[in-house]
Amino acid sequence: MTEHHGGGPPDEYVEAEIQSMLAEDPDVAEQGITVVRRERGLVLYGEVESPHRREEILRRVAERFPDLPITSDIGVIRTQAPTQVEELP
Amino acid sequence: MVIRIAAVGDVHLDQDVVGRFRPALEELPDCADVLLLAGDLTRHGTESEARCVAQEFGNLGVPVVTVLGNHDHQCDQVPQVVKVLEDVGITVLEGTGIVLECAGRRLGVAGVKGFGGGFAGRCASDFGEPEMKAFVRTTNESADALGAALRGLDCDLLVALTHYSPVPDTLAGEPLEIYPFLGCYQLGQAIDSAPTALALHGHAHHGSERGTTPGGVRVRNVAHPVIKQAYSIFHVGDHLD
Repeated sequence: MTEHHGGGPPDEYVEAEIQSMLAEDPDVAEQGITVVRRERGLVLYGEVESPHRREEILRRVAERFPDLPITSDIGVIRTQAPTQVEELP
Repeated sequence: MVIRIAAVGDVHLDQDVVGRFRPALEELPDCADVLLLAGDLTRHGTESEARCVAQEFGNLGVPVVTVLGNHDHQCDQVPQVVKVLEDVGITVLEGTGIVLECAGRRLGVAGVKGFGGGFAGRCASDFGEPEMKAFVRTTNESADALGAALRGLDCDLLVALTHYSPVPDTLAGEPLEIYPFLGCYQLGQAIDSAPTALALHGHAHHGSERGTTPGGVRVRNVAHPVIKQAYSIFHVGDHLD
């Protein structure tokens, strides 16, 4: 388990642990979330299939690293019908 | 007369997603002859998630053909997942193919999940530890099965359907370091061993839409996070007229 000591920026072990957790935790199972380390904390970005999944990701990360400032930029993927087709002659 | 192919991959269904795709899917019979799904239909590959897929993608009024993805293998319930899908008429391909009558033409679709391994010059080799050899042999067996399925179909228009990518082009946007986990050149080689008109895949959520195999076959990454719509539509086969 990686410890994050409040004050300094998160290191790459924190980044690795979060990515493993997002992929391997059965309640999350997301491999498409990118974790970016910034001086003042972490930014999570990517896209998921429902608002519930986005909330679950943030809840899990906050639970594991309660002292780490986290910014979320995770979107929910649109599911509208296409307005154009691709012609492949 | 063109064949109209709708396609999407990586929809990762569970209860929380059921119903999101359905309004767009209801329009399918008006705009497509077939729907191809490029794997990762579920989050963990459970039977209950497969029932969500069956509810969302079953009974659409057009044939639905799919391959499974790595997520669909997570809970080791592949036979149950396949049965749930087949019970609503969804064709599941794994080293196999099907020929469908579409717009008076015979559309052949051969599919396989595929596997990682990497691309020419930057790939894993069948050498060393048993685990490494098993990894690359899985890659090779998967590609061999796709090639045989493609070459075995008698049809007017041939499409290859995989989860993993056959080319690096459609991975652009992903970190280079993970390319070997996203696809392998052997799938491209299999696609080029037959008169394939179009190759569709998913898996690479941060990848890009368009690429071609070394043999010139057009490749499209239809992962849902890449296409950002319920499905893409391709009109293929103008030359058949």
